[in-house]
Amino acid sequence: MNVTAWIAMVMLFGATVLTVWRTVRPGSGLGDRAVAFDMIVALIQCGLFIGAVLMGDGIMVDVALVLGLLGFLSAVTVARFVERTGA
Amino acid sequence: MNVVLDIVTAALVLAGASLALVAAIGLHRLGDTRSRMHAATKPATLGVLLCAVGAALQFDSVSVVTKLFVAVALQLITAPVGAHMLARSITRRGAPPPPATP
Repeated sequence: MNVTAWIAMVMLFGATVLTVWRTVRPGSGLGDRAVAFDMIVALIQCGLFIGAVLMGDGIMVDVALVLGLLGFLSAVTVARFVERTGA
Repeated sequence: MNVVLDIVTAALVLAGASLALVAAIGLHRLGDTRSRMHAATKPATLGVLLCAVGAALQFDSVSVVTKLFVAVALQLITAPVGAHMLARSITRRGAPPPPATP
């Protein structure tokens, strides 16, 4: 169980590195960055759930809950900004 | 019983993590913003759902499982809405319409 959770954490880390590279690399537009940022939030949520299993503590679930709300708010804000200014 | 729960949790967590990895690879392989969004919104719903169900099987406290349920329900509601708003703004501004598929 522990080993499997750590393997999943490593896979999530690789996915996060790839997604962060999509966010920061030159040539990707604001829409690309917003999509990648939305996915980073989801990946961190998965990592927090797995971390809750590893720690045996439920406090990580609260963090994931708040993070999901913040990610939704930021996605909506960036979408409205793109729609209004055409960046 | 405990071993069965552990195995089911391991399978669910591994499925969620591999879905996230495949989506991250798709974020690089696909060539259009909306195609990338097609890859990126899968772990936002299904990956989070799988990881949360796997984590819920390991906790026997009602409060933690309830919070996990609320987190997943919120994610299932908000992720498609956010993705839809992003896709709409990208479509209205800048990105040309996708080519017709046969």
